[in-house]
Amino acid sequence: MNVIVCLKQVPDTETQIKIAPDGKSIVTDDIKWVMNPYDEYGVEEALRLKEKFGGEVTVVSLGPKRVTESIRTALAMGADKGILISDDALEGSDSLATAKALAAAIKDLDYDLIFTGQRGVDDDMGVVGASLAEFLDVPQFSVIVKVEVAEDGKSVKAHRPVEGQVLVVESSLPALITTQKGLNEPRYATLPGIMKAKKKPFEEKTLADLGLDPAKVGEGGRKVKILELTPPPKRGEGKIIEGETPQEKAAELAKLLHEEAKVF
Amino acid sequence: MDIRLNEDQIEIARQARRFCENESPMEYVRAMFEDERGFTDDVWRKMVDMGWTALRIPEAYGGLDMDLMDLAVILEEMGRAMVPGPFFSNVLLAAEAVMEAGTEPQKERYLSRIATGETIGTLALHESDGGADPGYVQMGARPVGNGFVLNGTKLFVPDAHVADFLVCAARTESGEDPAEGITLFLVDPKAEGVSVSLLPTMDGTRKLCAVEFKDADVSADGVLGEPNKGWKPLSRVLRRAQVGLCAECIGGAQRAMEIATEYAKVRVQFDQPIGTFQAVKHRCAQIYVEVESARSILYWAAWAQDHGDIEEAALAASVAKAYCSEVYRNATASAIQVLGGTGFSWEHDIHLYLKRAQANEVALGDPAYHREQVAQLIAG
Repeated sequence: MNVIVCLKQVPDTETQIKIAPDGKSIVTDDIKWVMNPYDEYGVEEALRLKEKFGGEVTVVSLGPKRVTESIRTALAMGADKGILISDDALEGSDSLATAKALAAAIKDLDYDLIFTGQRGVDDDMGVVGASLAEFLDVPQFSVIVKVEVAEDGKSVKAHRPVEGQVLVVESSLPALITTQKGLNEPRYATLPGIMKAKKKPFEEKTLADLGLDPAKVGEGGRKVKILELTPPPKRGEGKIIEGETPQEKAAELAKLLHEEAKVF
Repeated sequence: MDIRLNEDQIEIARQARRFCENESPMEYVRAMFEDERGFTDDVWRKMVDMGWTALRIPEAYGGLDMDLMDLAVILEEMGRAMVPGPFFSNVLLAAEAVMEAGTEPQKERYLSRIATGETIGTLALHESDGGADPGYVQMGARPVGNGFVLNGTKLFVPDAHVADFLVCAARTESGEDPAEGITLFLVDPKAEGVSVSLLPTMDGTRKLCAVEFKDADVSADGVLGEPNKGWKPLSRVLRRAQVGLCAECIGGAQRAMEIATEYAKVRVQFDQPIGTFQAVKHRCAQIYVEVESARSILYWAAWAQDHGDIEEAALAASVAKAYCSEVYRNATASAIQVLGGTGFSWEHDIHLYLKRAQANEVALGDPAYHREQVAQLIAG
């Protein structure tokens, strides 16, 4: 079973994000970049399928050269090959252009399943997975917490939480799955894994290699324009509930929740 | 000399950071501080699975045969998270002692099992006067038949309460040169005549024990390496362990610096963050200067153990141990000053770092001892 994992590099969630002077982007200096956590679930699930069925895991990513670090992490975890789509013209691409470039890199590969994170934790769009499935013309399952590939390796059942219940859907392969927290616990890369990673095949592809028109990607090709970025509103100060007895305090708390916070 | 981290080491550090944050959060550190055993099998197994216990072991015994620099990268992260447990005593003391002094059958017996996490060892070196020189090894081992009988007490033995074997340094001959006449023994801590007790110590994240020997028999094959020639290999082990300890110190000092500076940025007094006040910002800057300087010394010392000659390795280890351990203590003490009253509370984690810093400062030779070593090496 050959599995492809699409991987995005994002700022570490502990990084303090600052808005750049243009008001439309973030300051990227001093950012610690990591693999999108949802994509890590994809890498882990792909590795588990490889361990069960055999085959290869290929990691495909898009972005500047620094993304190589995250691909290397996936290779150290056990993935077999890495592909980085890197081209200056891709700078500022929206989700649709990203999906188009990923599709161009993936379409000629031999695959049974594709994993993408259900969204990137940086811009929270959640569009790439669905768009990629559309461009590749394969079925797609979103926000999946359990993957069951049939013993014959020809179909997959995917579990999706819906309003406290679970929706189980089945499809033939190939298919695309977007991963949700709870799917698995991603493994750590072992020391032997790290040592082997640098010897694994790694390819860089440009837009020209993929036959894509630079005018249709990047800032100029955006269908979605970012008009403005604003920081979230500052959290108000906490309030200490006064009162002589627990009963008084509870009554005051209930009153504030009702009248000020309006939670009921 | 190239002391930049290579791509593999950067990835090792990244994985170690992730592992330590996930598997050894401060809740775990605090629980193990109070716990008599001091670590859980689950966390230990995960470290073993990542290959950490096999890192320095030669490939012939199932290890990865990697450099001390690679291990230093992991130890820095372990020190940052104050990961409790017998990793240091097992990997940097016991395994290195067997690698340095052991015969082929001894290496085969112990190293592969250390690599797979099946066995844990430690080093019993210090005695009641606690010094790190060979002259302080006074506990006697008397030849009886083909073997020896050990009598005396070893103190501050890390993790002996969970060890499957001890490497014990004992005096088998006395002469003019205190470095001569020391023999290393492989001892089963559960054997007759050997008793292990936990010492009440300040740093609960690293357990220290007293090991008492009362007519404890050790057979001839329990002599690690050559009789009477134990100090030379042991001194090489100690040098590497000192550098390993420095890596822990830098990780801890880095964390103390982060704690201090993060607090200085958000704690407001007189309508300003306290980090804008000279007395506070200068203190934060001083911690930064010291930590960065100490890290450079650490990497030099680790490089020197892997690639330098004997003189440079010895010099760098003592320079590093004298400086890095002081920097760690200074960083934690300064962080407590920046934190003010909060820094004195049990709930804040900084006191755990201060305790580890103070324990590390005196372990394997205090700064005064190592300055003396440096003086001897540079000035004769």
